[in-house]
Amino acid sequence: MKMPDLSYRAALVGACESNLIGYPGGEERTIRCTSLQLHLEAIKNVSEYTGIPISDIDGVFSAGWSSELAEHLGIHPSYIDTTSVGGCSFQLHVRHALAAIAAGMIDTALISHGEAGWSYRGMGGRGGGGRGEVSPAEEATAAYGIAGAPAQYAHAMVRHNHVYGTTPEDFAHISVVTRQWAMKNPRALMYSKETNPFGGEITIEDVLNARLIAWPMTLYHCCLVTDHGGAVILARPEIARTLKSKPVWVVGAGESMGHSNMVEMEDFTATSAHRSAKMAYEMAGLSPNDIEMAMIYDSFTITAGITAEMLGLAPRGRGYTLWKEGHAAPGGRLPINTNGGGLSFNHSGMYGMQLLVEAYRQMSGTAEDGVNGDPGKQTEASNCIVNGTGGTLSTTGTLILERD
Amino acid sequence: MAYDKPIPRQGQHNKPFWEGAKQGKLVLPHCTECNSVHWYPRLICPFCHSDKLDWIEVSGEGTLYTFAVQHRLAAGAWAKELPFVTAFIDLKEGDRMQTVLRGVDPNKPEDIKIGSKVKVEFEQANDDTFIPFWRVVES
Repeated sequence: MKMPDLSYRAALVGACESNLIGYPGGEERTIRCTSLQLHLEAIKNVSEYTGIPISDIDGVFSAGWSSELAEHLGIHPSYIDTTSVGGCSFQLHVRHALAAIAAGMIDTALISHGEAGWSYRGMGGRGGGGRGEVSPAEEATAAYGIAGAPAQYAHAMVRHNHVYGTTPEDFAHISVVTRQWAMKNPRALMYSKETNPFGGEITIEDVLNARLIAWPMTLYHCCLVTDHGGAVILARPEIARTLKSKPVWVVGAGESMGHSNMVEMEDFTATSAHRSAKMAYEMAGLSPNDIEMAMIYDSFTITAGITAEMLGLAPRGRGYTLWKEGHAAPGGRLPINTNGGGLSFNHSGMYGMQLLVEAYRQMSGTAEDGVNGDPGKQTEASNCIVNGTGGTLSTTGTLILERD
Repeated sequence: MAYDKPIPRQGQHNKPFWEGAKQGKLVLPHCTECNSVHWYPRLICPFCHSDKLDWIEVSGEGTLYTFAVQHRLAAGAWAKELPFVTAFIDLKEGDRMQTVLRGVDPNKPEDIKIGSKVKVEFEQANDDTFIPFWRVVES
C-alpha cells in the first residue's frame, strides 16, 4: 500500500531532557530518581522552551505512561497513545502524532519519556506489561539461560561475522568513534575521566580487552544503563511558526517490525529498519545518498552497524565501515550519533527519546557548539535520519527530520 | 542432584511436545495444510494461518545457525555454569529452536563452527519435564 505523504504536516518545536541524567546519585545511589520525576522535569522544560503551556497539550504519547502523565499534569487529552515497543517507541510516537495532527484530530502532541534505569537498576518493577501470564514464546525459551539484551544481541554479531567475514574489531570502531563524539558533549556520562573513571578517549585495544559480557561482545560493545528523561512537542505548522523555538520538520516517517522473541528473527543480520526506512525515504522523496547525518540506535555496536546497512547508508555487511573509515566521526561526511550515543552519552533502557532530543538540537542549530570550550559538536547537516530499534532487534521506527 | 534451572511451564497448547520429550522424541506442531512444522507451539500455523494443526515426531537433527558465549548474564541457576554457550538451531524440517549448546568448549569459541550438525537430547528436570538440548555431533 502507498503511504500518504505527510511531509511538513507537523514540526518538532522543542526537545528537552530531564534535569537529572546519567548516574545522579553515583555508585552509592544517594539520589534515587523516579521515572515519573524524569518525565515531569522534561515536560516542564519543553513547555518552557517552546512557550507552549502544558494546558494547551491535546495529545499525550508515551511508552505506557500516558494516563498517569495526563492525570499528573491535570490535562484531558483528546488523543492518548501508549505504544510501548521498546527503545524505538518514541520514533513510532512521532509518526502516530504526525498522523493525528495531519488528520486534524489534535494540534499539539507531547511525547514523553522517563526511565530511572540507573537509580532502580536491579531492583525490578521497571517496564510496562505485567499481564500476569507468560507468552508461549517466553515459556519455550525460558529453559535456556539467556538473560538480558547483551545475551541476545551477541548472537547477531556472531552471525554477521560468519556471513560477511566481519570481526568484533570492526565493530569496536563504532565504540571508539562514538566516544569521540561523547568527548565533545559535556552532558555525556563518558565525556572525560573526570565525569567517569571509564570516560574519555578509548582505543580499539580498550574495547577488545574489556571484560567479556557475551562473547564476542565486551563491555564497550554495550550501551550504558542510566537515568534519563526527555520530552518533545510536535505541533501543526500554523502553531510551529508562531513559537519562540525553532521548528524542525518531519519529512519522512515509517515503522515496521520483524518479531518479538529473537527465536522468530528470520535473518540475524537484518532488521525491519529496511522497511521502516523505505517508508520514510518515500515520504520524504529522498534517498540514502541525500542524508547528511544520522542518529542511529546503538544499544550495542552490532545494532548500529546493522542499522546503518538497513538504512542504506552502507552496503550490506559493511555498515561498520562508516565508523572505521571516519565518515561517522567528528569532521566526517556523515556524522552519526553526535551526542555520544547510547554507548557513551546516556541510555536509560529505552534510548529512542535521546535520539530525538539530539536530532532536534542538531536540526535547530542548538547543539553544544562552543559550550565549555568544546566547539565542533554542532554539525552543518540540513537533514537527519533517526532510527530507533526496540526489543531484540525487533521493532524499528525511522524518521527523517529537516532543518527549517 | 535436583534440576535447579528454570523449568518451562506446561499447558494444553504444548502438551504433546512435553509428552514426546518424556519419551526422548522431538514432537513439534505440524500444519496439515501447508505441511510445515514450527516452534514455539502456536494456536494457528505461522506460515499459512490454518488452524488444522497436528503433532509429528521430527528427526531431532539440525544445524547451528548462530551462537554466543554467556560470560556475565544468566537466568537463575544457569549463573553457576557461566561461561556457557547459547545457540539457535535450524531444524532439518525447518524453523528454528533455541538451546544451550552441548559438545563445545565455551572457552574456545573460535572452534565452534556455524553450520555444524547438531542432534537433540533430553535432560530430565522433574517427573513431567524432559528439556531438549542440542549437541554438536559433527563440525
